[in-house]
Amino acid sequence: MSPSLFRSEEVSLVQLYLPTESARPIMSALGELSTIHFKDLNPDVVAFQRSFVREIRRLTDTERLLRYLHSEIDLNGIHVPDHNLPPSYESVLESSTIEDIIERITRLEARVRQLVESSQLLEARYLQQLEFANVLTKADAFFSKSGNTVDPLRNNYETSSIFSGEDDTTAPLIENALELGTTGTFDSEETSPQMNTTLDFVSGIIPTVKFQFLERILWRTLRGNLFIHQVRADDSLIHGAEKNEEKTIFLVIAHGTQILLRIRKISESLGATLFPVEEDAPGRTSQIQQANVSISDLNAVLENTRSALYTELTFIAEHISAWEAVLHKDKTVFQVMNLFNYDQNHKCLIAEGWCPTANLPMVQKTLRNISDLTDSQAPTILNVVHTSEQPPTYFRVNKFTEGFQSIIDSYGIATYREVNHGIVAIVTFPFLFAIMFGDLGHGAIMASVALMFVLYEKTLGAKKDLDEIVGMVFYGRYIVLLMGLFSMYVGFVYNDLFSKPMSIFSSRWVWPVKSEEAIARAVQVGTYPIGIDPTWHSADNNLLFMNSYKMKLSIILGVIHMTFCLFLSLSNYRFFKRKLDIYAVFVPSLIFLEAIFGYLVITIVYKWCIDWKAKDLQPPSLLNMLILMFLSPGTLEDQLYPGQKYLQVGLVIAALICVPWLLIVKPFVLWRRHSNEENKYQSLNSDLPNVDEADALMAVDSQEKQAEPFELGEVVIHQVIHTIEFCLGCVSHTASYLRLWALSLAHNQLSSVLWNMTLANGFRMTGIVGSIFVVILFGFWFIATCVVLVAMEGTSAMLHSLRLHWVEGMSKHFEGEGYAFTPFTFKVTAE
Amino acid sequence: MGGLVVLLVGLLTALMSVVSYYVSPKGNNTSTWQMSLILTFSCCYLLWAITYLAQLHPLEAPSRVLE
Repeated sequence: MSPSLFRSEEVSLVQLYLPTESARPIMSALGELSTIHFKDLNPDVVAFQRSFVREIRRLTDTERLLRYLHSEIDLNGIHVPDHNLPPSYESVLESSTIEDIIERITRLEARVRQLVESSQLLEARYLQQLEFANVLTKADAFFSKSGNTVDPLRNNYETSSIFSGEDDTTAPLIENALELGTTGTFDSEETSPQMNTTLDFVSGIIPTVKFQFLERILWRTLRGNLFIHQVRADDSLIHGAEKNEEKTIFLVIAHGTQILLRIRKISESLGATLFPVEEDAPGRTSQIQQANVSISDLNAVLENTRSALYTELTFIAEHISAWEAVLHKDKTVFQVMNLFNYDQNHKCLIAEGWCPTANLPMVQKTLRNISDLTDSQAPTILNVVHTSEQPPTYFRVNKFTEGFQSIIDSYGIATYREVNHGIVAIVTFPFLFAIMFGDLGHGAIMASVALMFVLYEKTLGAKKDLDEIVGMVFYGRYIVLLMGLFSMYVGFVYNDLFSKPMSIFSSRWVWPVKSEEAIARAVQVGTYPIGIDPTWHSADNNLLFMNSYKMKLSIILGVIHMTFCLFLSLSNYRFFKRKLDIYAVFVPSLIFLEAIFGYLVITIVYKWCIDWKAKDLQPPSLLNMLILMFLSPGTLEDQLYPGQKYLQVGLVIAALICVPWLLIVKPFVLWRRHSNEENKYQSLNSDLPNVDEADALMAVDSQEKQAEPFELGEVVIHQVIHTIEFCLGCVSHTASYLRLWALSLAHNQLSSVLWNMTLANGFRMTGIVGSIFVVILFGFWFIATCVVLVAMEGTSAMLHSLRLHWVEGMSKHFEGEGYAFTPFTFKVTAE
Repeated sequence: MGGLVVLLVGLLTALMSVVSYYVSPKGNNTSTWQMSLILTFSCCYLLWAITYLAQLHPLEAPSRVLE
């Protein structure tokens, strides 16, 4: 059978013998093919005891270096072009090439790190010198303004007078100054020079937010025996600083060596940077000149260092994508080679893996090409091994079917070769969505958005930074497209265009010109050919008709959907040649479902086909009919058709028979088979003296091998659960399909209310005001339509359609005991 | 008459399904095309037929309260 999405593909177990010297290029080629799911032949070996741990660790370290380089490149705002490495394997994964790349990366990383550290060190020094120059400038300005430094005592007098009266904390300073003055007056002139020399100052720079703490602490510690001068640092410092914080330059004048020492300690503990400033003006001028020279020198060296770093990073940026790709491949190759066995005698690696049978010729051809290219002495051998082990489940999806398949795989991975619900969901999923969401206008909006995603899929697919929601919509763009298209069709049939009807064909209802009664009733003159007659939209009893119609629609579609899925299980049983399951599970299930709910569907259609008014008969309620069918078999309220009584009794009996049928037959048959086998075994045992001993032993061995352990209790329990689930499930699932009606009704009513509350009001206005309001209200209506009715209601309907598939549909046939085929590949999965 | 229309359209749908089975593009996705086309025709027919039948002999007529 050709590959098809109807079932998972045939997958073969292959065994590979890889010569050690050419293993890496071979594995690189297989990684490009992405078609072999390798098994772990060393499940008992812990991770760090595997064969190639050292190689992987080395590559991991190099990848860490690359991440560091990448972060530096990003910091410097350098553009990294995508690598254009061809997916060929001829020269890329040579050992020498890998070694060269690793060595180069190591060397470049060391150099970049050195340049970065030098740059940071130089920058710190540069900043420090800037601060120093600023402190010098401000200090010089202060001292120049205060006049002659020879007489600080006088300055103290003058400055202290400024603070008097403003702050109580200045009082001690004044008293101290007075004491000093008094002492000076009474003492001889010899003591004056000594007092002059004891006055000194501390200068520095500190973040502005911390200066107030410094000021307060100093005042308290020294009890006011000091003078503080502060000034804001230049803006150039703010921009130069890493934290971009404001700073303050301060000058503390105080008396005594011990006091100055304490001031220094307190300042530094608060994060201030202290600088020595000369007392005399010429000294300060000299300091400023030296600082400026230092700043120029440092700036020049810093520029050179930065330039060198930028050049280096630019060079690295050209190659880093290619290096990352190469190292990723090599690391992946080693990781998968850790799954293999090493054969000491033949010096080769033994690998086992699953490969889709259809891809085997391609793999063989690739292996042959690699052997030719690498001039390998020993050939690579590929054996197809027959095994009873269950292969992984593999579906060959494309960009269109990928989304639908992922919907089904989210629920469970299909058993190997089981019928795939993904191929069915391509149509049934959007269709059931459309039954709930159906509106020609809303469907058109949805289809347009999806079509844009489809038309620009190459551009969008190349981007890797789509945000979460946009990325999700892009991934499911074909699902959304089909949802939109089916919604347009269903909306056309519902005759809903943003909840408004269309009159494409003439209405088949005619309103009377005059009516003597309080209620006017239309007269039918035919049947509207496609969809709902537009007259129903303006009728007062619109909901009565639409509810009846959509409820019946939901039931009919639901029962058909369940029946279809049940037949998928028949397809499964036939494929796997499980005849017992056909007549012990499928047949009673089908009879049970159709005897009750299939009958309901038929009666719905029959009731529609009869012209009850012409016959002047009152049609019976189908719901009551179904209930009475079980509560009072053989009793009818109103007759729907001749012979209904007997048919319904028969159907009830059939349904009731199917429950024990579904429950008992399979366990009984399996048990009987097992008993027969046991009898054969015993008879063989009893004939032992008459048969050769060797033949008897062989027969016993082969029989024991083939026989699987039989657990009657387990089989019975499984069948009980299945029977209960199916029979009760039929009832609850049929009711569950009524959500199709509920959501459709809600969607239609919401759309109608939105129209009536917005544009309908605008249309009632007249004149210029009316025109303006129509424009405004249209904008509001359109936005609300897109956001609420299309996006939110669409999401809700999609989730309900998902549930109808996962639970109501797939429970009829899905086993889901497979595991996914995960090929060895180099494609980076999004984390 | 009404029921006959439903049957005729049903036959037409069945015919289209059979034709699409053989006309589907050959290749890896033949089964996908076949299943998708047949299911699409079937679903569209079902919805149309149900809607048509529901309006064939309605028990209720559109009514409006006169002012």
